[in-house]
Amino acid sequence: MRAERKPLSTIMPEAHVEVREEAGGHALVRLRGQLNFQTTGACWRELESKLRGKSIRAVEVDAAEVELTGGIGAALLRYLSEGGMTPGARVEMHRLSPQAETVLNAFAAEDFRTYQPKRPAKLSMPAEIGKFVRHLWEDIGDQVRFLGSITRAMTIALLLPRRMRWHEVRAIMETAGANALPIVSMVSVLVGVVTVLEASHPLANFGAQIYLADMIGFSSLRETGPVVTAILLAGRSGAAFAAELGTMKVNEELDALTTMGLNPIQFLVVQRVMAAVLLTPLLTLYAMMMGILGGLIIMRSLGFPPLMIYHQIVSRVDLSDLTVGITKAALFGVILGGMACLRGLQTGEGPSAVGVSTTRSVIACILLIILVNTLYSAVQYLWA
Amino acid sequence: MRREQNIVIEVKDLTAGYGERVVLQSVNFKVQAGEILAILGPSGSGKSTLLKHLIGLNPPLAGAVWIDGKNLWTTEGAERQKLLLSFGVLYQSAALFGSSTVAENVRLPLEEFTDLPNLAKDLVVMSKLRLVGLSTAGDSKPAELSGGMQKRAALARAMALDPHILFLDEPSVGLDPITSAGLDELILQLSSALSLTFVIVTHDMESVYKIATRALMVDDESKSIIAEGRPADLRDQCQDPRVRAFFHRQSGTEGTMRQTVVT
Repeated sequence: MRAERKPLSTIMPEAHVEVREEAGGHALVRLRGQLNFQTTGACWRELESKLRGKSIRAVEVDAAEVELTGGIGAALLRYLSEGGMTPGARVEMHRLSPQAETVLNAFAAEDFRTYQPKRPAKLSMPAEIGKFVRHLWEDIGDQVRFLGSITRAMTIALLLPRRMRWHEVRAIMETAGANALPIVSMVSVLVGVVTVLEASHPLANFGAQIYLADMIGFSSLRETGPVVTAILLAGRSGAAFAAELGTMKVNEELDALTTMGLNPIQFLVVQRVMAAVLLTPLLTLYAMMMGILGGLIIMRSLGFPPLMIYHQIVSRVDLSDLTVGITKAALFGVILGGMACLRGLQTGEGPSAVGVSTTRSVIACILLIILVNTLYSAVQYLWA
Repeated sequence: MRREQNIVIEVKDLTAGYGERVVLQSVNFKVQAGEILAILGPSGSGKSTLLKHLIGLNPPLAGAVWIDGKNLWTTEGAERQKLLLSFGVLYQSAALFGSSTVAENVRLPLEEFTDLPNLAKDLVVMSKLRLVGLSTAGDSKPAELSGGMQKRAALARAMALDPHILFLDEPSVGLDPITSAGLDELILQLSSALSLTFVIVTHDMESVYKIATRALMVDDESKSIIAEGRPADLRDQCQDPRVRAFFHRQSGTEGTMRQTVVT
C-alpha cells in the first residue's frame, strides 16, 4: 500500500523553504508553493533543522507566495509565527495573501501557544497488580451473583415448566448440539486413535497391549469424552451465545426486554443454560462411543479380535465410570452455558465489544472446564 | 483528462445501482467549486446510492463521475489515490473507529498519508478538533460522545487532510434542532473560510434552506433528477406535484408512502 502511495509526491505541487541567517540574530524565512498534506511535512522538518537551537532573536517570514489548502499548512504558519521553532524570538509574518490569511484565521492560535506534548499515563507494577486483583475480585462477585440469578430462574422454570420457552431450548439444542455432531465425531475418533497409537509401543514392551482396551474405555468415559466435548462446545456454541447476547446488548435489545417487563435472564439465559445442560451429556455420551471406536480401529489393526476387546472393556469399565463422565458433562454444560451468557451480558460499548466478550467467553469457559475437571479428579482420588 | 473552469464534480450520463438493479438512469449534473449542493428525495429514491457512486464506493453501471477533471472509476494508481484524498466523507452513522479516541480517529489519515513530525500531527489534530468545537473531547472514545459530537468528530476526521470537497450523508439525522443548527453554522463557516465544496444528502429541509446554494431532487419512479435549482425557488415555483409534495410535506402522494427498498 505504502509503495503505491510514493509516486503521489511527484504529482503534487511543491513547496520550498529558504532560511537566511543575518547578523545580530536575525533570520529571514521565505516560504513558497502550496502547503498541503504532502508538502508541509518536509517544509516543517527543514525549518526545524535550520531554526531550532540557533541563537535567533528575530524572524521575518516572507509568505507572499504561499498557498494554503487548509489546516495542515496553516498549522505550520501558526507554529512558526507563535515562536514554536524559535522560542523567545520575535516573529513577524509579511505579505500573506488574502486567501492564505482567510484560511489561517480559521484556525485559532490558542492551541499553538498552550501546546504541551502528552505523555501516556503508565501505571506502576504494584498498581497494575492491584488493578488486576480488583477486576478479578469484581468478576468473581459477578459470577457468583449471576450463578444465583440462574439458579433462581432455573428453579422457577422447572417448577413452572409452562412458563419456559421450550421451543427455544429445542432450537438451541439443534443448532448448538445436533449440528455439532460432525466435529464431535471427528475430534473424538481422532483422540481415541492417538491415545491408542501413543500407548501401544510402551505397553508392547511389557506384553500388555490388551490393556489398551482398558485405557481407551477409562479415558473416553471419564476424561476425553466429557472434556473434549465441553471444550468443543465452548468454542463453538459458547462463543455463539456470547456473541448473540452481546449483539443484543449493543443494539439495546436487552434494554427493550427490560422495559417490556421481561427479565433477560428468564427470557434468554435460562433457555441457553438449559439447552447446554441437556445437550452436553448427550453429546458426551456420543463422544465416548466415538472415542472408543477410534481406539477400536487401531486395536483391530494391531490384531486384537473385536470380541476380546469388548470383553476386556466390559470387565474393567463399569457404570460408575459412565456416571462420572456424564456428571462432569452436566457440570461443564452449566459452566459453558452460564459463563458464555454472562460474558455476553457483560458486553461493553463500541464495535469491538462483541468480539472482546466472545473471546473472554471462550477463555473463561475452557479455563473453568479444565479447573473443574482437575478438582473433580482430585476430590475423587482423595475420596477413594 | 478534461477540466472546465470551477467545475469540481461532473456527473455524466451516470446510471447508478447495484449489479443488475438500476436505481437512477442517465443522471447528469455539475458541481462548482465552493457550492453547497443538497441532494434531496424521499426515502428509497436513491440519494445514498448516488452518493456511493460519487465517492467511488460503487462502480457506475454506465456513464461516469468526474472529480477535478478526472474520471473517478477509470483513474488508477497514484492519480486515483490523489483523487480519493481530495475529498472527505461524513457517513450517516459517523463511522468513527470505536476502539480509538476521537483524536486518534482524526490523526489516522495524518499518520498514513503525511510525513509530518509528531508534534505537527498533534497540533493539526488539536486545531481541527477546535474548528469543529471539540477541543476538549480528543481523549474520549466515540461511544462516550453524543450523536452531534460524533458527527462533528467525524467531520474533523473527514477534513484531516484538507480536502477541498466534502460529501455529507444525512449530517443532521438523529440530531436535536439546536445541534443540527450548530452543524449548519459549522458548514457555512467552513465553506466561507476554507472555500470548501459540499455535497449533502439530506432530508432536513430547514437545513437545506439555510445552507444549500443549490438543490437537486431525485425520484425513484422516473429514476432521474426531477428538479434542480435554489431550494427556495424549488419550494415556491416548481409545479411538479412530486416536488411540491416533498417541499410542502404533503403526505399520501405517490413516492412518500412507498416502501423503502434502497436508501
